[in-house]
Parts: sequence; C-alpha cells; structure tokens
Amino acid sequence: MLLYLHIPFCDSKCHYCSFNSYVEKFHLKEHYMQSVHQQLLKDLERFHVTHGAIESLFIGGGTPSTVPPKLYEPFFKTLRPYLSTTAECTAEANPNSATSSWLAGMQQLGINRVSFGVQSFNNAKLKRLGRSHSRDDAIRAVTNAAALGIAHISLDLIYATAFDTPSLLQADLKQTFALPIDHVSAYALSIEAGTVFANRPEVAKEHLTQTRQLFSAIEQHGFKQYEISNFGISPSQHNLSYWRHLPYLGIGAGAVGCVNNIRYYPHRNIEAYIQSPCFNTRETLHDSEIKSERIFLGLRSIVGVSRHLLGAAEFQRAQLLVDAKKLTFHDNVFYNTDYLLSDEIALFIED
Amino acid sequence: MEHIRNFSIIAHIDHGKSTLADRIIQECGSVSEREMTTQMMDTMDIEQERGITIKAQSVRLDYVKDGKHYVLNLIDTPGHVDFSYEVSKSLASSDGALLIVDAAQGVEAQTIANVYLALDNDLELLPVINKIDLPAAEPERVAEEIESTIGIDATDALMVSAKSGMGIRELLDAIVDRIPPPSGHPDATTKAIIYDSWFDPYLGALALVRVFDGAIRKGQQVMLMSNKEQHQVLDLMYPHPLKRQKTPAIKSGEIGIVVLGLKEVSVVNVGDTITDAKNPATESVGEYEPAKPFVFAGIYPIDTDRFEELRDALDKLKLNDSSLSYEPETSVALGFGFRVGFLGMLHMEVIKERLEREFNLDLIATAPSVVYHVYLNDGSMVEVQNPSQLPDGTKIDRIEEPYVRATVITPTEYLGNIMNLLVSKRGIQEKMDYMNEERVLLEYALPMNEIVVDFYDTLKSISKGYASFDYEPTRFREGDLVKLDLKIAGDVVDALSVIVPRTSSLSRGRALVKNMKEIVPRQLFEVAIQASLGNKVIARETVKSMGKNVTAKCYGGDITRKRKLLEKQKAGKKRMKSIGKVQLPQEAFMSVLKMD
Repeated sequence: MLLYLHIPFCDSKCHYCSFNSYVEKFHLKEHYMQSVHQQLLKDLERFHVTHGAIESLFIGGGTPSTVPPKLYEPFFKTLRPYLSTTAECTAEANPNSATSSWLAGMQQLGINRVSFGVQSFNNAKLKRLGRSHSRDDAIRAVTNAAALGIAHISLDLIYATAFDTPSLLQADLKQTFALPIDHVSAYALSIEAGTVFANRPEVAKEHLTQTRQLFSAIEQHGFKQYEISNFGISPSQHNLSYWRHLPYLGIGAGAVGCVNNIRYYPHRNIEAYIQSPCFNTRETLHDSEIKSERIFLGLRSIVGVSRHLLGAAEFQRAQLLVDAKKLTFHDNVFYNTDYLLSDEIALFIED
Repeated sequence: MEHIRNFSIIAHIDHGKSTLADRIIQECGSVSEREMTTQMMDTMDIEQERGITIKAQSVRLDYVKDGKHYVLNLIDTPGHVDFSYEVSKSLASSDGALLIVDAAQGVEAQTIANVYLALDNDLELLPVINKIDLPAAEPERVAEEIESTIGIDATDALMVSAKSGMGIRELLDAIVDRIPPPSGHPDATTKAIIYDSWFDPYLGALALVRVFDGAIRKGQQVMLMSNKEQHQVLDLMYPHPLKRQKTPAIKSGEIGIVVLGLKEVSVVNVGDTITDAKNPATESVGEYEPAKPFVFAGIYPIDTDRFEELRDALDKLKLNDSSLSYEPETSVALGFGFRVGFLGMLHMEVIKERLEREFNLDLIATAPSVVYHVYLNDGSMVEVQNPSQLPDGTKIDRIEEPYVRATVITPTEYLGNIMNLLVSKRGIQEKMDYMNEERVLLEYALPMNEIVVDFYDTLKSISKGYASFDYEPTRFREGDLVKLDLKIAGDVVDALSVIVPRTSSLSRGRALVKNMKEIVPRQLFEVAIQASLGNKVIARETVKSMGKNVTAKCYGGDITRKRKLLEKQKAGKKRMKSIGKVQLPQEAFMSVLKMD
C-alpha cells in the first residue's frame, strides 16, 4: 500500500499549476497538520492497515517545504510502525524553502528521497513560468540535500514551452546531470483551466523532434524512461505503484485515495477539510473501469498490459500493433514502444 | 356541389404558403386563437424545424359569403421537388390553385415548375402576391413578372400579407367567386383518387381522397384499381388538423379520409383510384404510377450489430411512406446494410435524420447515386444503383445515365457564374429567357448525377442565395462514364466508389484523395489514400501517422479524470467506422462527391 499526503500551502502560485494550494492561509498550518494526523489515524483503522504494510510515502503539494518538520512529527510518529523497513519516503520541496535545516529535519523524520521542483535552470524561463526561485537556489538546494546524505534526489523539469530553444534545453540538461541526482521528471507544459496560462494557451508549444531528442539525451545518462514523464537510475516505487493500480491512501485537502476499488476524495477546501478531516466522497470503480485504467496506465509506463486483461478482439488488435512495431510482447505482457502514443494505443486496443 | 371549392396552394419555398394556410384556417373560424400554433399544416418535427412541408395536409373549412354557406377544401401540397408526383396528385384533386408569389422575391424556379403542373391539370390559377407589407415589396413589378414569365393575367392578382392577415377576406371571397365548383356525376359509380396516404397508430393506413363521381359510403366494399384488391370502408372523416369530423359518406366533389383498417400504408398508394367493388368504374382518374426512386444510397449502422434494428426502423418508416424502398446489401467495408431508394435529396436527408432521431441509430450513408442503365456486350441491360456493382469495363457496351430538365432563375449579375457552373456539370442549354432587365430564366439538360450532391448549395453560394432551382427528370442519355475507386491503406473501400465522366476522372480523383486527406484524422499508422481506375492509381495522398496523444501527468489523483477523458475520446471514435486498422469518420462516406 502507498500513502500520499497533500500539503496545500505555497509561497507563490506558479502560472501553470492547477493543484490545490493556497498562498494566503499560512495561519492554518498547525490546524491543518493536526487534521491530517486525525485522518491518518482514521484511515489506518478503517482499512485495517497492518504494521509494515506501507511501502511508500509521498508528501506532495502545494509545497511540503513550507511546513516546518516539527509540525510533521505527530504524523510520522503515528505512521512509523506502519512503514515497511524498505519504504521509499519522498517529500517534494521548493528550492527556496527547502533550507538545509528543513531537509535535515525531514531526513530525521524518515524522508529518504527528495523531489525538487526545479523546472529549469534558466532564470528568464523560471520567471515566465511564475517560479519564485532562481538557478542558484536550485543548485544550492540539491547540493545541500546531497551533502546531508539523502539517498535519492529527483528534480522536475518543464519542457514544450514557447520559451524553449534547443540550446536552452541542452543547457538545462547539462546542469541537471552535473548535480548528484538519480531521477528526473520531465513534464510537457500542459494548459490547465483556472491557471494564469489558461488565458495564454500559446505558451505551450511542443516540437516532437525536440521532445524525442530530450528523451534520448536523458536516457544517455543512464536514466531509463519508465513512464512518459519519468526517468531514473532506479524508478520511483511510489510512481510505479500507481501505474500498477495498487491501493493508495490519500490524506489531506484535495488528496485522492483508492482502496478496495473505491476511490475516495476528502474535502478539497482547506477550511472544510480542517473541520471534518475524515469526511470523503466516494467513487466505486466497476470492473470495466478498472480494466480501462490498467490498460492506459500500463501503456504509459514500463508496467505494460497483461494479455489476461484483454478480450479476444482486444488481444487481436494488440497483436496488430506488435506487427506494426508499436508494441512488444513477452511473457504474456504487451509493452509500449512509444509512450507519446500511449492514449491513442489504449483507444485503439480497447473495445 | 356548387357550394364546394377545392383548391391548392402552390409556391416557391419561403414564399409564405404555410403561413397563408394558417391564416385561411383562422379566418374561417375553424381553429380558435388558443388552439392556433404557428404552421398548423406542418406537423412533423422536421417540417417545423426546416420550415418545409413534406406531407401534404388538407383541411375542410366552412365559409359564409353573401349569406350563403360554402365548403372550402384546402388541399396543401408538398413544397419540394422531391415530391412532385405527390404534388401533381394533389393538384389533380383540386379545381383551382392559389399561386403565391413573394412580393419582394418575385417568380422563382419552383413557382414555374408548379405552374406547369397546375396547367397540366387545367386548374384555374389565382395569382396571390404575398408579403406586400415588406419594405422591399414591389407588387407591380411582381405582377408584371407573373404575366411575362407565366403568361397568366395578373391584373386581378390578390394582394395579401399572410403574416398580418391583410387581404385574407378578399382572398376567400375570390376563391368562392373565381374557382369553379367541382364537376362530377353524383349518381355514377364511385370514382375517387387517393392523393395522400399515411399511417395512423390507432386507425391504420388512411387514404385521403377526392371523390369525382358517386360517393364513398361507410360499410361499402371498395376496390383499388391498380391491383384490384377489395376492402371494406370502416369509417369516413373530413380532414382537419385538430378535429376530424366523422361522416357517413364522402360525396361527389368532396374530399375526405377513408379508413380501411389496413396495417400497411403501402396498399393505399398516392395516385391510385378507389371505385365500387361490385360495380367498378371503367377508367381510373388519371394514370397511376407507383412512386419511383431517383436517388439511391447505402445506409449502414456504424455498429454492425444493429442491422436488425435498422431493418425494423425502415419497416416502421415504410408504414408511413410508401415511396421508401430498400433492399439488404453487403459492403466489404461497411458490413450489412440497405440500399435505399429515395425520391430525391431532401427525401434522403429526411429519412436519414428520422432514422437517427426517432430510432436512435448511428448511421453511415454512402454518397448518393442515380440509376445507370448499363448495356452489356451481349445486348442485355442491367440497372446499376450502386457504383461498386458496375460490371467490368470490358463487358460494357455503353452506359446511359438519367438527365433532368433544370430550371434556374437568377438575377443577371450572377448569370456568368451560373452558366459556368452548369457547363462544368455537363449541362446543355435548352433555353435562356430574360424575364425582365434584372432576371433571367435558364433551362438546361443536366445529368442527374451532377445535381445529387452539392449542386444546390453551390448554386446558392455563387448567387448569394438569389438564384432558384428546380428540376424534373427527363430521359436517359449515353455518357462516357467510368468507375473511380478509392483505396485506403491499400484496399478498395467499395462504399466509396463513384461513377464519373471519363474526361474528368483525373481531376475528380485528385480532388477526392485531397478531400479525403482532410477528413481522415491522423492515426497510429500512416494511411495511404489512392484513387484508381481499375488497377491504375491516378492520384495519391498520405495521412501522416499521429505524433502524440498522451497527457504529461497521471498520478493517483488524476486517474479518474484521465479515464473519463479517454471515455469521451472513445465515444467520438465509436462514431467512426473501422476499416481494417483505419478509422474513417462518417463524413468520409458522404464527401465523395463534394469536391468543388
């Protein structure tokens, strides 16, 4: 089982971001952290989670580094016995708020992987994306984390923007691989409703040749692409588990969990969440929906699609794609050879 | 009988026929203000939406003039060329006709076609100039136009505004004064013409008739003269859009609805004559011809499992529309479907729309085709309604194709464009008359094949909507025609084959593949689109394979939203037809001929 914890606070709102986050609710931090603790207790109980059963923890946001480690303590204290000894425990962090002391504090609590929202090392591009940190902040933050001995460091990059040039992307990659990291998430900019960029859709601009060049440049450093946007010397277990359709707890305002094929949604609104952290709305997944999810998740990642999931006609269509070299097939599993086409392939295969 | 007036209304589309009918009904007090819905006479959804009349409706009205009571039978006529056979039978049932001309638009092509039909039936024509309250109205000019182009006296033309009710009373008086009462022999044996028929879910097939001689009485054993079938008259009614009135008899000169209790409308056909079974009339009223389809198209369910549902739906529509004909056919590309015959393009559109709307079917219609007479080397002739069935070229001696006489009326400024269009459609000029300084009437012999798709739209667009058009089928003429096939990803898609003139096959082939390239969306694979004559490829385009369809992020919180998005995309694809591994949108099958 996985656990996702959502921290809905940010120092500033990025132009592309549609995640649930608040820049003006810092006074609620303590209350909020008490509430997530309450929900954790409730979820552990209602799902009968056993000791050592949680294989990974991911603290995402928002910006987890806006909350001091001390406020995480009760949460970790309760959680600790439920974490497996080999659990991957990731916290997202923003290069300006992830100070050395914050990183050290989180490491003490059990964080062994940090994912930095770097996006680019080009100050002009960072500014246009609405990021509040600079190139130097990012380099410092990563270096600090490595100096503390945090085992796994990832950073996020954004590409397919109108501000990109081949040389800019090259410079970003050069700087990325000069740092002591073992994982990169590279996201094509997508325009989301309710963001600053929603009114400027022209800022998202992708050249597929450039995209493919980017992918192969990252892979040349030994970072294998294990999903359309993820590359690593070793993949993130947390990410992979989503694509394997494993159960996950979702804790915090706007988090989503899925256990026993019921997807549940705590309050999104932070005040409502603090008031009743254990409330949630639910969505029961039908077999056909689970199948459909397993197909498109398997195709966008190295997870693949087991033939046993497919009906006869679907299996035939998948084989057609093997003949056309869009898929490979071994040990009864179909694997995608071009993640850029994942959704189209899912549509082609499924009845 | 001298107190009965049977009259039709003939007009070009949009000249206000239905509004005028509504106003006449209201003026006779037959429908209260409260019951009045606009366009009483158009009862089908599609009719009201499009503002056209497909099925003729009739109404029996009471009118008092100078203290005398009159029965006015308004016989409405379908307002579209596709239904000209039905129009002619409605006119044959009338003794006079109101010729409605829009005071701002003037005489149009359809006005002329309808006038010819009315004159064929010796009807007294009452010119009525409508919409005289429009700012752009020019009633005097229009009256002159009626005199010069139609050749009837328009000095006593009635000036009305159906919208405001102006001049309606005068019009009704004129109907009484100027339209002759019906003639006929009340004491002779029964003779009546069926001028409309439809299916009523409670009463079964109904025939709307005009009685010429004798009477039809409740309980009478009658006979249909086309097939000598006998039936008993179960009930009789006078027509009315809201409240039909029962009657023991429909007498000489009257119109009425005959209930025979039959489950299918195809036994009571428009144009047939009803007579007494024991003492039949010797001659029918006019000549009966069964409705003849001019245009054929393949209709297929997108979901091949729904073939039987399509058959049921067609059977149900047939109950109400005996002009509809269909036979099962199989297409390599589209599976099982039907080759359906239509009276014309509007009829085809209406049927397809009703199948989709009333029966909830997703359908593909192939490009419409006319009927070709193909003479083989052995002297035999085959009728080809489906281009993919054209016999091998080496076996063909010659092909004849149907022609129409096309009437176009246009303001002179568009004359050049329109003549170019007609020539490009292989038209042969038969007549060109200046109606006055501003407008010209053209008559062309045109291959029907050239007007089945797009012609009307093109004509309207090159004349900014001012040119009007009508046609009537004439005869077959030899043409140098070839079958143009379309190959998608290497395979001929039989449903996309078309028959074209040899001389334009290259340009048509090029236009076709280019057009198809725009329609076929990018797919996982590169798709070659080729046009070929036999084995010879004459044009090719390639639809490049898709580069990307994936979203950047899909973690725990995104999965449901992602699934719903894909479900939506999938629903869109379900409306496409899979041919091999290629998916073709529905428009692909209709677009074959649209390429100007």
